[in-house]
Amino acid sequence: MSMQKKNKPASKALLALTGSALSLPGISGKAAAADPVTETSIDYQYSNYREEDLPSSKHAGGDVERYEIDTHQLRVVRPWGDSYDVTVDLMYETMSGASPWFIMPGANGEPLQVMSGATIEDDRSDILAKVRKLYDNSAASLSLGYSDEDDYRAINVGIEGEWDLGSKQRTFTVGLGYSDDELEPTDGGTTLYPNRVTSAEKDSLSVYAGFTQVLNARTTVQSTLSFTRHDGFLSDPYKEAFVAGNRVQDNRPDGRDAIAWLTRLRHFVPSARGALHVDYRYFDDDWEIESHTLELGWHQNLPADWQLSPSVRYYSQSQAFFYAPYYNSARSDGFASSDYRLSPYGALSYRLRATKKIGTWAFHLGWERYTSEADLAIKSVRVENPGLVEFNAITFGISRHF
Amino acid sequence: MPGAGAWRFPFRAMGGPCELRLYAPEEAEARRVAQAAQAEVMRLESHYTRYREDSITSRINAAAGGEPVPVDPETASLLEYADTAHKQSGGLFDITSGVFRRVWDFKSGVLPDQSEIEKTRQLVGWNKVEWSSTHIRLPLAGMQIDFGGFVKEYAVDAVARLCRELGIEHGMVDLGGDIHIIGPHPDGQPWQVGIRNPRDPEKAIVSIGLLSGGLASSGDYERYMLVDGQRYCHILNPGTGWPVQGLASVSVAAPLCLLAGTASTVAMLKGREEGVSWLRELGLPHFWVATDGQTGGDYAPAADAGRSIS
Repeated sequence: MSMQKKNKPASKALLALTGSALSLPGISGKAAAADPVTETSIDYQYSNYREEDLPSSKHAGGDVERYEIDTHQLRVVRPWGDSYDVTVDLMYETMSGASPWFIMPGANGEPLQVMSGATIEDDRSDILAKVRKLYDNSAASLSLGYSDEDDYRAINVGIEGEWDLGSKQRTFTVGLGYSDDELEPTDGGTTLYPNRVTSAEKDSLSVYAGFTQVLNARTTVQSTLSFTRHDGFLSDPYKEAFVAGNRVQDNRPDGRDAIAWLTRLRHFVPSARGALHVDYRYFDDDWEIESHTLELGWHQNLPADWQLSPSVRYYSQSQAFFYAPYYNSARSDGFASSDYRLSPYGALSYRLRATKKIGTWAFHLGWERYTSEADLAIKSVRVENPGLVEFNAITFGISRHF
Repeated sequence: MPGAGAWRFPFRAMGGPCELRLYAPEEAEARRVAQAAQAEVMRLESHYTRYREDSITSRINAAAGGEPVPVDPETASLLEYADTAHKQSGGLFDITSGVFRRVWDFKSGVLPDQSEIEKTRQLVGWNKVEWSSTHIRLPLAGMQIDFGGFVKEYAVDAVARLCRELGIEHGMVDLGGDIHIIGPHPDGQPWQVGIRNPRDPEKAIVSIGLLSGGLASSGDYERYMLVDGQRYCHILNPGTGWPVQGLASVSVAAPLCLLAGTASTVAMLKGREEGVSWLRELGLPHFWVATDGQTGGDYAPAADAGRSIS
């Protein structure tokens, strides 16, 4: 409701006072970054991810039972003195099941998936620590991470700066990340897999910049642009391609440059006591993969501190330039990959999450159903990769702040 | 919806009676919002009160004449607001003028010496203060700042925003007579707010219907003394150190209680003629009572004027 009387231009004094009042945090709402962490919080989450078995029509050999992953995650955030805060993330996951190995043509030329024969059993541990120093209108953070698997080790470092550009109505973030990965594939160079590498290295460097803008008391928009360069062994040592009747190791270029642009919109609807979340991500790389992700979510507040959040996500990508389900003849550049993740496809996933708060405790339970198919892609796809995934995931979390 | 109306949560804070009136499907839900709202009021009160040594106000004042004091972003934005109000009011809205309290004892019934006022006047003046978005320094020992003149109105708006965020659509925030309407009664009817008669403060002189937004009043009836039949009230002109004259009370409605409070305080400080034209120029709905009993503005004393202020 406008309080200003009709037919009268707003007074200069009123405009100046209103402008100044609207930048007060209590009036604008305390959104955005660089708020010091004032209490310790601990979050634990368990999730079970289970890929569905391949249908027999697409399967030509190996185990039909695909991946199942159990993940445990623990996060602790706590203030450290007046001007620092610390975040530690621990993750442990166990994986088992078969994964797509190579694709061969069927009797009518249709691609059929051959899965890895032996069931893979592996576990992975991951630790990430981040220290943030808070200044008056900015913050700087340094993070260090280590990841370990039977056949894989990675170290990563990151630095990030955030600036408050005017009473938390707008914040600006820039960051730099570097990761150094070492692979020692299981059974590499053995008589069983003579062409599989015994060890390999890769690294990746990414830079990003983004801003968060409070549009009004109910709407916030965040946008981030990132650039990543991967170098080194980017092939999958456990995959092969079927080239002119022969099985060859998955072979990809040893460099990959990618850009990603992510925009998130958060809009609170007081009359419905809910919030709309809209996220869009654009991705493009020099392997000619271009993808679009659109996610719509609704977070509904319910009586007695319950919250219910349904969301739907759509994804579509084009294929890598060297990808084929199988090759009738070798490419002149020697590249070959039949990985479904490089194939053209689209995906839909539905998620539902319920959260309940009790005092300083919060509990959540979530479920996700994901389907990917060539027919869901934006552009029409001639041949669908038979290895495309369908999965269900459930998560359970418990958190507490002190 | 409760048939009897909104759930009421009275409490005391910021030196006066406060009340939240919230419509919610269940009392427990309204109570949860009320608790969060009260916690926000308490937070602001303890942060800005002059009566606690560890408040930011006390720390700034204790360092007067010494080193700059670091301020948090919220305090910095309040200083920014005070600076804007100072500029827009031609220097009348001045958060350093509280130091005059030392010379004006409204319980004594005795006027202070002009020489005392003159001496204290040297310690008043927002334009003397050195401040930035991170620090503030009062350059002279004995200088003081006081957020009391506007932090209550700010708290009213902050609480109203919080209630809206927590899902309340219909309700009212009242901190010692400073008001923010979260939204009308569920049937769309406005909230009726009684404005105190400055010469009979327990009675309403006019009733204002409000659908949303803020309402604040400023008057010479809150603290004053009579000396030789002349009223001296607690609203002091920062330039002269003497109580304002001309207007007995001013009430303003605005989208934010903070704006309404600043508008009414500055009108009181400007006095009758300038004050009334300031109100007209702002274009906000208002009501004033002059010390001679004359009234004016956008609201006329209504039929139910004279009812008790609850």
